[in-house]
Amino acid sequence: MNVVTRGIKNATRSPLKSGAIVLMFAVSIALILSMLVARGSVLTKINDLKATTGTAIAIAPAGVQGGQGGGDLLTTDQVATIKNTANVSSITSTLTDQMITSDTNLTSSLQLGGFGQRQARTDTSTSSTGTTRPAPTPRINVTGTTDVNSISTDGSALKLTSGSTIDANGTGLVALVGSSLASKNNLSTGSTFTAYGQTVTVSGIYSTGNTFQDSGVIMPLSTVQTLTGQAGAISSVKATVNTSDNVSSTVAALKTALSGKADITSQAETAAASVSSLQGIANLTFAGVIGSAAAGALIIILAMFLVVRERRREIGVIKAIGGSSGKVIAQFTIEGLTLTVIGAVTGLILGVFVSGPMTTSLVSSSQSTSTTASTTGRGGAGFGGAVRGGFSQLGTNVTQVTASLTPQIFLSAIGITLLIALLGSAIPAWLTSRVRPAEVLRTE
Amino acid sequence: MLTVENVSKTFSTPGGQVQALKDISLSVKTGEFVSIIGKSGSGKSTLLSILGALDNPTTGSIVVDDTQINKLSGGSQTKYRANKIGFVFQQYNLIPNLTALENVMLALEFGGYPANSRLDRAIQLLESVGIEEDQQQRRPTRLSGGQQQRVSIARALANQPAYILADEPTGNLDSATGKKIFDLLHDLSRSQKTTIIVVTHDLEIAGKTDRTFTLQDGKITTK
Ligand SMILES: Nc1ncnc2c1ncn2[C@@H]1O[C@H](COP(=O)(O)OP(=O)(O)OP(=O)(O)O)[C@@H](O)[C@H]1O
Ligand SMILES: [Mg+2]
Repeated sequence: MNVVTRGIKNATRSPLKSGAIVLMFAVSIALILSMLVARGSVLTKINDLKATTGTAIAIAPAGVQGGQGGGDLLTTDQVATIKNTANVSSITSTLTDQMITSDTNLTSSLQLGGFGQRQARTDTSTSSTGTTRPAPTPRINVTGTTDVNSISTDGSALKLTSGSTIDANGTGLVALVGSSLASKNNLSTGSTFTAYGQTVTVSGIYSTGNTFQDSGVIMPLSTVQTLTGQAGAISSVKATVNTSDNVSSTVAALKTALSGKADITSQAETAAASVSSLQGIANLTFAGVIGSAAAGALIIILAMFLVVRERRREIGVIKAIGGSSGKVIAQFTIEGLTLTVIGAVTGLILGVFVSGPMTTSLVSSSQSTSTTASTTGRGGAGFGGAVRGGFSQLGTNVTQVTASLTPQIFLSAIGITLLIALLGSAIPAWLTSRVRPAEVLRTE
Repeated sequence: MLTVENVSKTFSTPGGQVQALKDISLSVKTGEFVSIIGKSGSGKSTLLSILGALDNPTTGSIVVDDTQINKLSGGSQTKYRANKIGFVFQQYNLIPNLTALENVMLALEFGGYPANSRLDRAIQLLESVGIEEDQQQRRPTRLSGGQQQRVSIARALANQPAYILADEPTGNLDSATGKKIFDLLHDLSRSQKTTIIVVTHDLEIAGKTDRTFTLQDGKITTK
């Protein structure tokens, strides 16, 4: 029998006591792992949020949302102001309009349905009171933009199913037609249609997966401005800020510069509440990691302290009959390591199972109060609609923090455990070295 | 040959300085069987612990076979204890979770005895002190006081030490058992030329040894 087997044998000397120590240690290790997983998942989510909310700021005339509402369109001066605001790296301007039957030879691919009927009824009742209401006809949305990709609903480049894109900064009588509208009117690349009394050529067909968007027409901004007789007018601007950190300050600067004439919103700002509450959870879990690590260390130190104290005489005897300090230290270190290793393995296995539910309950309990980012927007045309779609998507995303146990997290849990185990073994080593062998001659 | 010269030992306690040994000088020849007697608190155990390098004197020197043991490093003192000294304690002091056999083998391990012949040697030692086969596999708690003390003597003899230091080896035993243990030690000193220093309260036992030292308040009064 050597030092190693003696150490291991001693660790199992009183199964109840060792069992209690192992269990307590295992629980603290499981907590460490769970907290690390929760923290990792929340931090990933924060990064995701920051990345998806990006650097975009939406600017629309006050009182206007999508193609609805009142107020004045943005002027060229205002657009110039936006462009010259500090940290704004680029802007996309959009002007939306709706073509009625007299404006075009196209037939809308939209079914009015209950929702559309309601809008059409309120539209007509305000304009023509007392007269017989004509049967409502769906209109065709026209979007003039300086960047066709801003129509894409998911933030990526606009997907063309055929043809080629248009020069959005040009003045050509060209258009991209939504796939639904195109099939309704048998349009393909190279076809022409009439809009505002002019003949427009179809340059390409696009598809966004959004039926409303796919029932519209996209043309260069200038073209729409000219065709609708609204030179220089713009219904919404998307400003891109150089870095995400500057978004909130830029929003503030724009609000001052446009002095209430425009509604300025950014996903980043709206997400800030979610981010800060997630950050709160991240901080909480970090404190949890520290706390459970400290608890684990304390358990082992205390347990080993008691073990050494209880066996002072035994240590003294070993030294008296010629056991070197090195052998005594080795034996007690191995004893401590045996307990910590069993505890750590149990704890890590336990942690793998509880970390998932733990993360979910941690996040959902503190998120239930802050998921107000979700909005229910009416399907407006153009950029406004896309932004609102993004917002509501954001709202659901926040609650979907998925607990994932990455190898890195597992490794750091093992690292922390190892550190505690070493500490838990160094303590008995230090304690045993202080036992004087002469004490064995003292009667108890 | 063991020579003690002008050894004093002072303990610092919260209540002040305690002088346990005062200017002790004595010498014991190789193969001698000597006893130390004295009242409780006279310093017997303190002297024995200094002879066995369990503790160092405050002043003075202990020379054992030409080596001044109180000047050795901690590691060398450990080796000295492992190879030259066999301890026998009043409380037996066997390791509780090791069997009688394992307790003896532990001493053999510390003495550097080859691993593959430790078991045979331990069995032989235990048989020589009268511990039978089934008792060898028991833990100390399953042995009587007399049996435990026999095991502890077997452990003390493990590395064929030149000196056996025994602190009241019969103190916890009835007189008949105590006598048997004493006879066992006595035979050893005769057969193996082992020097034995035994601390005892029993004047009858002391009378059977070659020489008796009497300690009184930390001083040697008779030689
Ligand atoms: N570690 C210590 N710290 C303080 N005082 C001590 C220490 N060891 C011994 N003493 C004191 O030294 C004196 C001698 O003690 P020692 O144990 O040598 O006596 P003893 O002769 O063995 O007594 P007993 O017959 O009761 O075993 C006593 O007064 C004791 O209190
Ligand atoms: Mg004593």
